[in-house]
Amino acid sequence: MKVQGMTRAEVEAAFARAGLEIPEREKPEIIAAAHFIEEMAARVREKREMAAEPAHIFPPPGE
Amino acid sequence: MVPDFLTIAEAGALIGKRELSPVDLVQSCLTRIDRLDGKLNSFIRVLADEALAAARSAEAEIMTGRRRGPLHGIPIGLKDIYETKGVPTTGHSKVLIDHVPQRDATSVRRLTEAGAIVLGKLATHEFAFGGPSFDLPWPPARNPWDTSRFTGGSSSGTGAAVAAGLILGGTGSDTGGSIRGPAAFCGLAGLKPSYGRISRAGILPLAFSLDHAGPMAWTAEDCAIMLQAMAGHDPADPASADRRVPDYRAALSGELKGLRIGLIRHFYETDNPANEATQQGIAAAVKVFEDRGCSVRDLRLSPLADWAACGIMIMLAEGYAIHEATLRERFVDYGEAFRDRMALAALVTGADYVQAVRRRRELAAELAKAMADLDLVLTAAAPSEAPTFDAVSKFAILERPSLTMPFNVTGSPAMSVCCGYTAAGLPLAFQLTGKPFDEATVLNAAHAYERATSWRSIRPRLSPP
Repeated sequence: MKVQGMTRAEVEAAFARAGLEIPEREKPEIIAAAHFIEEMAARVREKREMAAEPAHIFPPPGE
Repeated sequence: MVPDFLTIAEAGALIGKRELSPVDLVQSCLTRIDRLDGKLNSFIRVLADEALAAARSAEAEIMTGRRRGPLHGIPIGLKDIYETKGVPTTGHSKVLIDHVPQRDATSVRRLTEAGAIVLGKLATHEFAFGGPSFDLPWPPARNPWDTSRFTGGSSSGTGAAVAAGLILGGTGSDTGGSIRGPAAFCGLAGLKPSYGRISRAGILPLAFSLDHAGPMAWTAEDCAIMLQAMAGHDPADPASADRRVPDYRAALSGELKGLRIGLIRHFYETDNPANEATQQGIAAAVKVFEDRGCSVRDLRLSPLADWAACGIMIMLAEGYAIHEATLRERFVDYGEAFRDRMALAALVTGADYVQAVRRRRELAAELAKAMADLDLVLTAAAPSEAPTFDAVSKFAILERPSLTMPFNVTGSPAMSVCCGYTAAGLPLAFQLTGKPFDEATVLNAAHAYERATSWRSIRPRLSPP
């Protein structure tokens, strides 16, 4: 599946925003795997109706 | 003299006839652990004194005619994400190394109330997610069929310990295949029941909406015995199903005639191609079912990668929410496999998560529709026999779509069943899936298959380290 492809800077910015202090040694391998997430994010975006519901249910407590 | 390998059903029958002492059985397993586990690393904590005390108590009860059932006096192990009162429950992690729960998980309480005897806490991938890892407080479990090989994960210790006959059954958990994977690689029967069938209360979570607890044992019959004890409604788990629990063992008729099976070939032929030995094992299993009166027809579903993407996006988002604060404060206290995989969740947006959960509803509806005129579906449980440790990459779960994740997405009962061995003697497996809450049909089909084949008579040959 064709995806945009995050840059190293974009991935590092996401880690920084999340507050993760990732050792420098480990960063290249994680960044190299980022495309898997982009591909999966694209895969779950099927064309669907606006009102298509998620699989969540929330039974109100006490019922 | 207690035999090295007994099933739960066999041992239970002998105990019931007072031909086998629970104390002797527990002592035999403890001796075996002492002799062999230095090579397997399946246990991270052995509870020898507690187990022997429980065995003496069980024996006294049984001798006075108060046998509780087929699990009374049976030695089991618990994956170390199942909380145990007063006994550390670590998730195989430095992060929880001092965590001593105040209560037992509901499923642990139910197993011990049924008379099972806990021999100890078993190795797992860190928090049922990151592994195999060599940088945790305990080493990873090794496969009893070949200790240079991976057990599968995350219920790695349970897979190794049951296969090696150190325990007769054990608990696993399955968020994307963590019962069925180790069951496949270690040659066991491993059942992920329907979502909601077994309480998750008191089990360290990985992903709330995908986590399933379940039994792992040598046979489908043993899984039925364990499931009977573990299943049932629990108000402490908001997802717990308030539904009748059938008599699973009574459902093991062995009758297969008329059963309608859908074969999802494309999952293991093209989407995540299985090796030749696995494909041959599945083809032979299909013939066993056909020869016994089942109708088997091909079934095509959405590509496997769609199911895997849906499950992994949900798993990462929910798992990250659980570990977020600790990852920020103690990132390097997690093992590298866990922390680097989970770091990728920082790239998953809120919209990604909701889209995955919307996709989940579509995929669950797709399977329900496809199974409207079927009783079971059959596909591969793993693409090959157990790989060597050095062949398992850090991001393996992302590189090839999981064959087991589809049934976490749908919450269906799914089971790994051994279907033979490679030329080198390594187990092979297929996967059977039923309709939600129809564990009985899955277990019966697996049981009938095991009875029709000779695979359950083959055990690993082990020697002390």
